Amino acid sequence: MTELLDHLLATPILAIALTLAANVAGIRLLKALGAPAWCPPILVASLLLTSVLALLSIDYADYRRGAAWLMLLLGPATVALGLPLHQQMPQIRLLWRPLLACLPPAALLAAAYAVAIAWLFGARPETLASLAPKSVTAPIAIGITEQLGGSVSLMMGGLLITGVVAIGFVGLGARLLGIRDERIIGFALGLNGHALGTVRAFEIGPVAGAFASLGMSLTGIVSALLLPLAWRLVGP
Amino acid sequence: MPALRGFLWLLGFLLLGEILLTLTGLPVSAGVVGMLLLTAWLLLHGGGFDDIAAAAQPLIAVLAMLIMPGVVGVFFLVDELAGQWTAILAALVGGTLLSVLTTLWLMRRLMAKRHGDPRDPGHD
Repeated sequence: MTELLDHLLATPILAIALTLAANVAGIRLLKALGAPAWCPPILVASLLLTSVLALLSIDYADYRRGAAWLMLLLGPATVALGLPLHQQMPQIRLLWRPLLACLPPAALLAAAYAVAIAWLFGARPETLASLAPKSVTAPIAIGITEQLGGSVSLMMGGLLITGVVAIGFVGLGARLLGIRDERIIGFALGLNGHALGTVRAFEIGPVAGAFASLGMSLTGIVSALLLPLAWRLVGP
Repeated sequence: MPALRGFLWLLGFLLLGEILLTLTGLPVSAGVVGMLLLTAWLLLHGGGFDDIAAAAQPLIAVLAMLIMPGVVGVFFLVDELAGQWTAILAALVGGTLLSVLTTLWLMRRLMAKRHGDPRDPGHD
């Protein structure tokens, strides 16, 4: 059994198949249960995948090596977000001033709140560095975490939790503040909830999706440029 | 094969982003630079992107799945981070609540300044 598994793990096929299967199963399960919109299928799919890896006693490093082939598609998928961005350009142009004014403080605060809370709870510096890019889209966040000296695995887990709770809180906060504007909701989803928030925003509508893509990419750029700088200034 | 041609376009912009980053040394990701280049290119050309749409739409639909292999890693860190989970969860959940409220409030305030915008259903 172990030998067969080792043989299958020699190519990335098994890791990719397991990831796809967990994803399909997660979506099916949520649909069957009639789960609410704030619960993204990736949460269930990740738990399913973890259980399968543990059951088959597949080493995470082995799985990760194979699944890296799937993650390669993150590059072209990020480029692809340029299309909805272009389609909604008239809407975005209309609002460029508030968008640009809101972005730097909101993106930096997204990191600062989390780091401050973790610091108050006495988390280690390495943990703080892993939490700082929690609202940044994965390919950029990996670079930031490495620069700050954090753990990429913890950061990615933080991305998942942040994405899930951001989806819930944006819905809740919008209701609380009486905001129905798809543009504001989408922008908040992308800025705080990176790719997961952006996926949710596209479910709301194409306008929300485009504003989420914009929020996600601008947060990524601002964080990549400013977080390492701010980190050196504060120096935890 | 429109999807294949579209995928080639996406890869082309990704490579272009990679080249720009290597030349400038900026700490951003090639994907984000590629996205901005694609947006700029589409703005300049204004029509006929069926090929790109055929590749872009399915990729955007699976965006969340593409980060899953990295995300799963955290479940294998449970022991290593023992004693820090309260701090981590409080930071992620509390921090995200605060930052979401900040963004929503800030955007509403900033947009409310733009009176006389008939396409803005948000302010009153």
